[in-house]
Amino acid sequence: MARDLTFTCPLPNGVHARPASALEEVARNFTAEVVLLNERTGQTADAKSILSIVAADIRFHDACRLRVSGGDEDRAMAVLESFVRETFAHCDDEPAGTAAPNGDLRLPPMLSRAGAVLRRGNPVVSGIGLGRLVRAHGFRIPSHLPTDGACDPGAEMAKIDHALSELLTWYDRRMGNLGRCLETELLGAHRSLARDAEFRQVMARAIGENRRTAAGAIADAEAHFSALFGASKNLLLRERTLDIEDICRHLLQLVYGRDGELEKVTLIEDSLVFGESLTPGQFLALDRNFLKGLVLADAGITSHTVILARSFGVPTLVGVLGVPGGLVEGAEAVVDADLGALVTELNNSARRYYALEQSRLAGRRDRLLRHSQRPGGTCDGHRLEVAANISTLEEAVAAFAAGAEGIGLFRSEMLFLDRHTPPSEEDQFRVFKGVLAAADGRPVLFRTVDIGGDKPLDYLQLPHEPNPFLGYRALRIYPEFEVFFRTHIRALVRASGWGKMKLMLPMVSTVEEMRWARQIVAGEQAACAAAGQPFDSSLAIGAMIEVPSAGFMIAELAREADFFSIGSNDLLQYFMAADRANSKVAALYDPLQPAFLRFLRTIVEAARRQDRWIGLCGEMGGQTRLLPLLVGLDLDEISATTPAIPALKAGLAGLNRALCHELLLRAEACATAGEVAALLKDFATGSRAPLFSPDLILSEVEAETKEEAIKQAVDLLYVHDRLDQPRAVEEAVWEREAAYSTGFGHGFAIPHCKSAAVLSNSLVFLRLRQPVHWGSLDDQPVGVVILLAIRDADGADAHMKVFAKLARQVMHEEVRETIAKEKDSAALCAFLHHKLGL
Amino acid sequence: MKIVAVTACPTGIAHTYMAAEQLEKTARKLGHSIKVETQGAMGIENKLSQEDIEAASVAIMAVDIAVEEGERFDNIRKIQVPVQEALKNPEAIFARI
Repeated sequence: MARDLTFTCPLPNGVHARPASALEEVARNFTAEVVLLNERTGQTADAKSILSIVAADIRFHDACRLRVSGGDEDRAMAVLESFVRETFAHCDDEPAGTAAPNGDLRLPPMLSRAGAVLRRGNPVVSGIGLGRLVRAHGFRIPSHLPTDGACDPGAEMAKIDHALSELLTWYDRRMGNLGRCLETELLGAHRSLARDAEFRQVMARAIGENRRTAAGAIADAEAHFSALFGASKNLLLRERTLDIEDICRHLLQLVYGRDGELEKVTLIEDSLVFGESLTPGQFLALDRNFLKGLVLADAGITSHTVILARSFGVPTLVGVLGVPGGLVEGAEAVVDADLGALVTELNNSARRYYALEQSRLAGRRDRLLRHSQRPGGTCDGHRLEVAANISTLEEAVAAFAAGAEGIGLFRSEMLFLDRHTPPSEEDQFRVFKGVLAAADGRPVLFRTVDIGGDKPLDYLQLPHEPNPFLGYRALRIYPEFEVFFRTHIRALVRASGWGKMKLMLPMVSTVEEMRWARQIVAGEQAACAAAGQPFDSSLAIGAMIEVPSAGFMIAELAREADFFSIGSNDLLQYFMAADRANSKVAALYDPLQPAFLRFLRTIVEAARRQDRWIGLCGEMGGQTRLLPLLVGLDLDEISATTPAIPALKAGLAGLNRALCHELLLRAEACATAGEVAALLKDFATGSRAPLFSPDLILSEVEAETKEEAIKQAVDLLYVHDRLDQPRAVEEAVWEREAAYSTGFGHGFAIPHCKSAAVLSNSLVFLRLRQPVHWGSLDDQPVGVVILLAIRDADGADAHMKVFAKLARQVMHEEVRETIAKEKDSAALCAFLHHKLGL
Repeated sequence: MKIVAVTACPTGIAHTYMAAEQLEKTARKLGHSIKVETQGAMGIENKLSQEDIEAASVAIMAVDIAVEEGERFDNIRKIQVPVQEALKNPEAIFARI
């Protein structure tokens, strides 16, 4: 007897390939027939076929019905019901788009004067790329392959079937080699489409009914599904046409060998690839050393090609008018995805502009990179190790490249999730050993498996709990599953001989728990010794501080624990009794709560008194805004996600430990989190970089025009992290110039602006190699440019007085003389300090 | 001669102070005594009192925007110039005294 399950589509983007493949993964486990009905359109789909599900064109809030019949229908129904209720709504996590507004494109003055040709596009991956235009062509069966009049339909179908099975093997092999990464996920999606019954069916019909050849059948399948997806109202579905095209390209090649190869794009110099579209496969085949940008007429922000481009950082524009038709292959061009335009017919001025843009971006990158390769520490020489939080071996490599000084949290549970049996000791050992090898002597803090609660495992069969966060999880379940835990510890102990391991237990709330765990570790160490397996006998065993009770027992815990690491996410949730995922109470989850800061200091000071190392590995550690408070806490280490590391190190280098400590004490004394936030903001203003420094004084600057000089002065502030939106600041400077020129005579100009995009008040001095026309009071060209950039928020503060003083000083000839001629930036800095009374 | 002056430019960041300095410098050079009030981003500084204004023979108003508390100058002879004039050719302003 058939059973029905009705539901409303909970997915704002409708049922596109990703949710469809999630449903298919569930449905295919059962022998029962599973049919999905779209009640709005009356279309039905085989829930074991992704293409069929996708073709049902189910949109947000559509009424749907799943009909399960035959075989194991009871079990299938139970599983599907829980899937639809719990998982389905969350299986669509497309990245947010960065589509440009459709308003007027406001060009920077220097570029607008250059007079190059600009075509507007939606920037979907930011950045700027220069190169020659190379055309990528769409799917066309090569003319030498016959498509019709097959003599032996059976033979044609056999070719297709053989190629399909080869294709599936190829996907498996390739995915196996790559390990877990974006490309694997993508190939997985392609594999699901390729093994879809509907896909084969369309080709079989073409051959059987229309006597098409294998090539003709592939062309038909491509056309059929492209039309089906392309006609969809759903943007995400339309974008899947590229995936179909990719599979068909591959298939054609497998049937016909070299003869079936479509025109390939080969890059031999810096290139911008343009076309109607580009398939993910075509993208992956490009030499990324030469690929500097993508310009596509038709590809959305969620197409797999764009997702790949984003992960490889290739600047990309989509929806560009006049592409591909209006572009000349081989011509030099720029993909300016920061501005949202494709720039062609470059002249010298436009080239100069983009050379400056590239050096601006490179300057910032280099500066961050310089910081990221230095040990973490404050400007007054206080060390603070900056480490990374990771979950997989692959992430370790990226973390160290970004400047991580160690791994401050390796979440070992990733190894245990998404599988039906626990990983073997050997499997675990291999991963742990691999991470230690990647660390190359740097410390790696492994947290023992943190499961239960929100991370259930079917092979442990943990009871369902009404309140899992206050329930049976992490360390608390180890005694019941002692064999499982011992295997885990054994793998860790064995790996400890291969690098600098630290072992940490999650959710410690009492001293007894810590004692018990230590004794298990000791037992496994003894077993290793008996088996002659090498291990680190001085392995440090620590406690993660995330349950408030542990925070008040540091002295006692220190007898059992060699170190501590604060898990600020859970600690804050438990401390404030607020679930951060619940929007009604999430505001309470604020690390700036004075009570929480007091608690943190209590914990760190207690650890210090016991002479224990203490780090912090929650999200709090990755927020540069909070750095002054973290430095004030006097931690040994902070651990954050990899992308945050360069900025953390750069931020640290600008802080003074004594001042930070004072700030923390003042913050603790506040009554509300709002007061702490205000204090932090004030501190950021006051303690930011000084108004000027030798870095901001440049000589022999090459600028051909006023526009160029202003751009360079603003860019310099961007490179030094003193402003975050150079174009906004430039615009503000030009707005001021529009009132009247700031060239005040004697070869000097003093452009200035107040802008919210300025992060710290700054003075820039540019001495130009060749004076430029400025529209000055005395009609003389300008050789010295002094830029005053002022934060919008600042009123009558000390910096404004300095600016006023400087304005007065430049009225004096001897001051101008020194500013213009002093070659040594440091000496000029000292001179200005003296003159400005700093 | 005793002179008072007010300087004020659109943003109040640079030219207000450059003009003030220039007027003070030129007055010194020409042997006059001068007090210059600046109306800039930091508000009114070196404010002219009623006594300052009464004791002066002329007020130089080097301003691009409306002067704050302008009624103080109702009963004194004023020389009104754009701020830029004070930078470009201060002596010409003093020649009009």
